[in-house]
Amino acid sequence: MNFGIEWAKMKRSGFVPAFLAGGALGAFVPVIQMAVRSENDTGFLGKPLEILLEANWSMIAMLNVMLIVAGACMMYHIEYEERGIQKIRTLPTKEWHLTAGKFLILMIASFGALVLETVGLGGCGIYWFEISEDFFTELLKNMGYVMVLTLPTVIIMLMIASWFQNMWISLGIGVLCVFTATMRQTDNGLLSLFPFAMPFQTVYEANVNDLIAAAAEVIAFAMIGWGIEKIRKKTV
Amino acid sequence: MHFFSILGVEIKKIRRSKILLLLFLPLVILWIPNVLNADMNFQTVIEGISPEHNFFIQSFMGMAWFMMPASFVVCTVLLVQTERANRGILKMLSMPISTAKLCVTKWILLLILAAVQMLFMVGMYFICAEIASSTQNYSFTLPLSFIMEEAGILFVTSIPMIACFWMIAVCIQTPIFSVGIGLALIVPSVLISNTKMWFLYPICYPFYMLIQKYGTLASDGSSQEIPLVPWLAAACIMTGIFIAVSCIRFGREERR
Repeated sequence: MNFGIEWAKMKRSGFVPAFLAGGALGAFVPVIQMAVRSENDTGFLGKPLEILLEANWSMIAMLNVMLIVAGACMMYHIEYEERGIQKIRTLPTKEWHLTAGKFLILMIASFGALVLETVGLGGCGIYWFEISEDFFTELLKNMGYVMVLTLPTVIIMLMIASWFQNMWISLGIGVLCVFTATMRQTDNGLLSLFPFAMPFQTVYEANVNDLIAAAAEVIAFAMIGWGIEKIRKKTV
Repeated sequence: MHFFSILGVEIKKIRRSKILLLLFLPLVILWIPNVLNADMNFQTVIEGISPEHNFFIQSFMGMAWFMMPASFVVCTVLLVQTERANRGILKMLSMPISTAKLCVTKWILLLILAAVQMLFMVGMYFICAEIASSTQNYSFTLPLSFIMEEAGILFVTSIPMIACFWMIAVCIQTPIFSVGIGLALIVPSVLISNTKMWFLYPICYPFYMLIQKYGTLASDGSSQEIPLVPWLAAACIMTGIFIAVSCIRFGREERR
C-alpha cells in the first residue's frame, strides 16, 4: 500500500529514467575503457574480472553513490517542495512507513543500476578476454557483495535528505561525504567502514566481515533515524 | 537597474544560506590527511619532484578533480532553488530588468563563489604548509606569488566549466536530471584529461592544468606543450554558447 504510493509519487520526477541512464552510463564505463586502451589491459596477468574491476570499479562505484545521493535528495525534495509531507503527516499512518517505502524504492533502483553495470562488465569479459568457468559466478558474487555494501549508503543518505528541507543542503552534505569516500585510497583503515566508502569495495577487497559491518550499519542507522524521529515529534 | 545593484541583491539572497561553510568544509577534510601524511612527500623524490611541490600539487589536484566541480553543482542548485522555493523568480521576472542581465548576474555570482573557495584554498594551504613544516622540520611553504599564480590559473580555467553547469541548471527544470547530469559529467573527467581531445571537455580544464604543472615540476620534463590555439578557441566558443543558451532559456519556463 505505502510502497505503491511512494512509487506513484516518483513517477513524474524523472527518478526511474535517471537511474536507468546512470546504470547504462556505468555499464558503458568498462566498454569505453577497454575500447580505448585494450592493448594495455589484456596483456596483464590475472583474472579477467580482477583486471576489469581494478580498472573501472572506482568510477562505477562513484557513479552509483552519486546516483544514490541525487536520488535520495530528489525523493525528499518532492515532499518538501509543495509541503506534501505535511499532508502525509496528518494521515493516520506512521511516518516510518514513508521512510521504509522510500528506502525500498531507492534500494531497488540502485540494484537495477548495479545489474546493468554487471551486464556491462560481463559483456566486456566475453568480448575482450578468454574467460574461464568461474568468471560469471565471481561476477554475480561481486554484484551480490556490492548490493549489500550499498545499503548503508542508501539508508544514511535518505536520513540526511529527510532532515533538511532545502535540497541543496542535503546535496551538499552528500557530495561532501562522497568526496571523503574518495580519499579511501590513502587510508585503508577506518575510512573503509564509512558508509559512503563501502560501495567502492569489490569482491576481491571485501570479505564477510564487511558484509556484517554493512548490515550492522544499516540497523544502527535505522535505529538512530527512528530515535531522532521520536525526539522531533515530541519537540514539535 | 544597474548591474552592480542586481549583483548586490543576488548576494543578499544567499546571505543566510551557509554556502560558505559548504565551500570551506571539504577543504578541511582535504587538508587533514595531507598534513598528517606530510612525511609521504619525501618518498616522491625519485620522480624528481621536490617534497614541497608535491605537497602543494597533490592537495590541489585532490580539490580540482572532484570537489571543485561538485561544489559548483551544489551552488547552482542553491541559486535555482532559492528562487523557486517561494516563487521568488516570478517577482524577479515581473520587474523591468532584462532576463539576460539577471542570468549573467547569477553566473557572475557563481564565479565570485568560486573565487572565494579558491582564496579559502590558498589560505588553508599556507596554514597547513606551516603546520607540516613545523612537524616535519622541513619547509613546505612555497612563495606566495607561485601559489597565487597557480590558483589564478585554476580559477580562470574553471570559468567554462561553471558556465556549463549553469547552463545545465537553467535549461533542465527537473532537479534530478540537472544534478545528475552535473555530477555524472565529473566522473569521466580524469579519463578524458588523458586523451588528446581534452580541450573539448570544459570540466577537466582545471585538472588538466595541474597534470601539466606536475609534469613540469617533475624534473624529467615530460610535459607536452599545451596546444593554446585550439584550446583557447574551443574554451571561448563553448563558454559563449553556454552563456548565450542559458540567457535565452532563463525564465522561459516560468513565463509560459
